[in-house]
Amino acid sequence: MKELFSLASRQLGRKKLRVFLIVLGIAIGIAAVIGVTSLGEGIRVQAVEQIKAQHDLTTIDVSAGVEAGSVTLITDSKLRAIEKEEHVLFVASYVKDMYVTQNKTAFWLKGNTPEYRQIHRNLQLERGNWFDEEKESNEIVLGYDVAKRLAAIEDLGIGDEFVAKIRLYDEDSRPMDKTRDKTAVFKIVGILKSTGGEHDDEALVEIATAREMDEKDAYDGAFVKVDDPAFAASVGDKIEGLGLSARSAQDVIDEVNKLMVAVTIVFGVFSGFSLVVGALMVVNTMIISVYERTKEIGLSKALGASDFDIMKMFLAECVIIGVIGGILGDLLGIGFSMLIDLVGKPFLVSALGGELGAGLQTGSITVVTPEILAAGFAISLVLSIVSGLYPARRAARLNPLDALRQI
Amino acid sequence: MTVETRDLTKYYWMGKEKVVALDGVDLKMEEGAFISVVGPSGSGKSTLLNVIGCLDAPTKGEVYLAGWRVDYRNKQSLVRLRRKFVGFVFQTFNLIPALNAVENVEYPMYFNKAGRSKSERRESAMKLLELVRLEKRANHLPSELSGGELQRIAVARALANDPKLILADEPTGNLDSQTGKSILNLLKRLNEEEGKNIIMVTHDLESAKKMGKVIRILDGRIQ
Repeated sequence: MKELFSLASRQLGRKKLRVFLIVLGIAIGIAAVIGVTSLGEGIRVQAVEQIKAQHDLTTIDVSAGVEAGSVTLITDSKLRAIEKEEHVLFVASYVKDMYVTQNKTAFWLKGNTPEYRQIHRNLQLERGNWFDEEKESNEIVLGYDVAKRLAAIEDLGIGDEFVAKIRLYDEDSRPMDKTRDKTAVFKIVGILKSTGGEHDDEALVEIATAREMDEKDAYDGAFVKVDDPAFAASVGDKIEGLGLSARSAQDVIDEVNKLMVAVTIVFGVFSGFSLVVGALMVVNTMIISVYERTKEIGLSKALGASDFDIMKMFLAECVIIGVIGGILGDLLGIGFSMLIDLVGKPFLVSALGGELGAGLQTGSITVVTPEILAAGFAISLVLSIVSGLYPARRAARLNPLDALRQI
Repeated sequence: MTVETRDLTKYYWMGKEKVVALDGVDLKMEEGAFISVVGPSGSGKSTLLNVIGCLDAPTKGEVYLAGWRVDYRNKQSLVRLRRKFVGFVFQTFNLIPALNAVENVEYPMYFNKAGRSKSERRESAMKLLELVRLEKRANHLPSELSGGELQRIAVARALANDPKLILADEPTGNLDSQTGKSILNLLKRLNEEEGKNIIMVTHDLESAKKMGKVIRILDGRIQ
């Protein structure tokens, strides 16, 4: 084996320029694939990091399960079952209804338990105080946008009380304000800072008050806190086993991963078309090599080489080309991905803008993993060998006498 | 070791013209013989050598090497015969340019390792170079050697797998007469001292007569 490769490298050494050009051709193709996949991988890592930064991976968002037309509601017994699961720290259930004031200003109202704020630690008061979650009260904390609306339209502020009732919708999603006459009086005690999320459009109230109003037997949702992100998926599965629907940030990450891996594969495959050029170069060069060495092949056969011996000799040359091409391709690929990072990042950051762009600024947008490098090397090797098969077979099948006669 | 051919016949077609290269050749070679085959160009003498050397298949007839009938349809057995029983010497030397002298001698051993390690093979290749008195040129590439030296290396290479039979196709054809004589002396020495059976194709009837038995071929027939 060693002799085979030493012989092959001697043969290649006689035409260094030609070998260098094929190797370069393959390496550039490999580098293109590595660059593109590292970009895909880099963006995937960035996206996942951003999700991790913005979401609590130990929180599972539970909602009513809908399957085959039947709805499984979040009842007290279900919540107790979830609480009993291993790794569950606590469950924060809530009810959520659309309310409307006497002047028809609509807002979402969430009735929540004391645990709710332990889940949503980003909730901060801009003004005022929190209501006492431990006892039933009509005190309400308004989300940033709700507070603005109520202040603008109804001139309501901290300390003011107002009357509201639940707004229900008919089948065509039209509000049916007249169906329920039960009203509640809320006292504004606090206003939240803007979160940029759902809480801006919601008002929060202690859960017992809200349940009394909506008269539902079940909750509209619950957040389940687990002790470790590693168990979020298994606990989520168990919650789904109860017929409920469970979502965690991990699900989002999984989806991003799935999407980015698919996108990266598609990109990689298309950039891989440049490798076809490299492969054709190998085929071409090896065929030329077979022509040039026809006499040598005939001689080798006369001296006792079998068809397989000849084939091995040519394939060994292809293996060497593939190995050098793979190494050079990996090196060029690393350089290429650095270039993408250098040139492409400022462009991406400005194109995306805002939070997404700012997130990109910190890290690198390309990630070259050992797997990507290994794949690049393997592709180069396999490509060279496959491209060499036809020329090698052609060499092996030469008639020794015809080959010897050729000058 | 004997070489025997029975009714050996070979045609081939040049366009629409049928060329008879061998026309019922019956040849018997005794153990230890040195046979020179002479005849004009196109008489079929090279074809005879190639068929005996398992490089070419006859249209009809049989070849026996050491009493075994050569099966020309069995590619593997032809490869084995070429490896073990036959050594070729060509008019144009045919050394591999990428390999130096000792590596060229060693080259056939690579296809017929026969349990010999790399160093053992190198050692026997060096001994063969000594036999043709070129041990000092062991590390020279073919491009650095003269025609006579190249042909002596080629003879050493023909001996690489210790074959019983050496087939030399006009071994002196590309050499001046003085150098040619030294190659003939080398072959004669191999025949007499090493006991090699040799069949040599040549134009040179005078030299052939000094080697041993001479066979004349004309139009594919032994005269």
